[in-house]
Amino acid sequence: MNIILNNLDLFLFLALLVLGYTCGSIAEKRHYKSIRRREQALVKLAVVTAEGRFKEGAVKQSFLVNGSTVVSNDYFKRLLAILRNIFGGRVKAYESLIDRARREAILRMKEEARAKGAHMIVNLRLETATIGRSANKKNRVGSIEALAYGTAVVMARP
Amino acid sequence: MKFTPRHIEDNINVSKTHPLAELGWLVGGLLLLVVVGYILLGVATEIAVARIPVGAEVWIGEHFTGKMDAQQSEALQGRLDKLLDVLPADSPLHEYDFSVQLVENEEINALALPGGLIVVFTGLVEQAESENELAMVLAHELGHFAHRDHLRRLGRGLSLALGAFLLLGEDSATADLVNRLFLVTERHYSREQESAADRFGLELLVAGYGHAGGATDFFARVGKDAGSRAPYLLASHPYPGDRVKELQGLIAAHGYRVDAVIPLGQDLLQDLPVSKESPGMEPASVAGQ
Repeated sequence: MNIILNNLDLFLFLALLVLGYTCGSIAEKRHYKSIRRREQALVKLAVVTAEGRFKEGAVKQSFLVNGSTVVSNDYFKRLLAILRNIFGGRVKAYESLIDRARREAILRMKEEARAKGAHMIVNLRLETATIGRSANKKNRVGSIEALAYGTAVVMARP
Repeated sequence: MKFTPRHIEDNINVSKTHPLAELGWLVGGLLLLVVVGYILLGVATEIAVARIPVGAEVWIGEHFTGKMDAQQSEALQGRLDKLLDVLPADSPLHEYDFSVQLVENEEINALALPGGLIVVFTGLVEQAESENELAMVLAHELGHFAHRDHLRRLGRGLSLALGAFLLLGEDSATADLVNRLFLVTERHYSREQESAADRFGLELLVAGYGHAGGATDFFARVGKDAGSRAPYLLASHPYPGDRVKELQGLIAAHGYRVDAVIPLGQDLLQDLPVSKESPGMEPASVAGQ
């Protein structure tokens, strides 16, 4: 018991690390499962980055759709990233974080578009932003935001 | 352009490496860096010990004096100066400005600190019975200076401190911090270092007094008491018995005379906190004298 009290910092660090790894892995696995299922369901709704050019009268309606999501980092990923900063190379720990955020944002955008009866989305744009970057410096864990936006198009004759 | 809806299962954006494998590689690499750094520091220290200028040593030494609650001892200084006078002309020790301090501590020990400071514990002076014996201890510490053992003893912290001194300069707060963090007296002298210092001390003692009387007295007494005081005595002055034998062998080999020793001077005893002559006396009776 005394050992734990004397090295509270170390034990707290290890506990957060284990917590970060287990919870982080479970959350990630579940998130990917959900992303794949929803992507499969929405695969027929076309999303392109190209500017849409339509014939006169082909488009019944067009409007802005967007989807955004915030995914948090965890202690384990943060440690991997810090260690990576020493050696250089790909920060593999953060790759899945960004990938999840982007795909989730696109999915949410598509879900909004489908709910409003759109047939396709053109002019897709993606933005990412760090949330709590200053918090990151104070030994805390930051998050990443991904924002997807585009123009949803409802065709006159689908 | 035809749009073909297709779900792509493969994900190129996320590396397949397992996070724990990644952690293993990174931590392993970090450990390797630390090990390599440790070895390099060791090598750097060995190089630094031989070349460190006395000026830098004095600067390092100042941080040690700050930690010691000590007083300059006139009586001991006089005895040390006598030994310094008989040093050979080409001795590297002439570069130092030696000083001796007496520290109130019952440990039977003396230390050679960076920058030419010799610290003698009151416990040692209380144990000493002759001038020659005390001179041998001082000469032995001078031997550590001559062989730069006092720097080697600081271990790997020395090269860090020296690096900070050379890069950042004497007045830098960072260099000061490095000094405080890494400069610890971490190692004891090795048996070879002690023997070398003994040889140096013996020669100096003979040069100063003309004979080798008293050279072995201190270690012989310490060896006898080793049973009760083993933990710290063996730590600071290991193998007292062997050292006595070795010194006796040296005396015989060089054909040094062993004459009568000079009893310890009264001026030295006055410096002690409790007088050696009255160990069991009541304070009242001392006052009444």
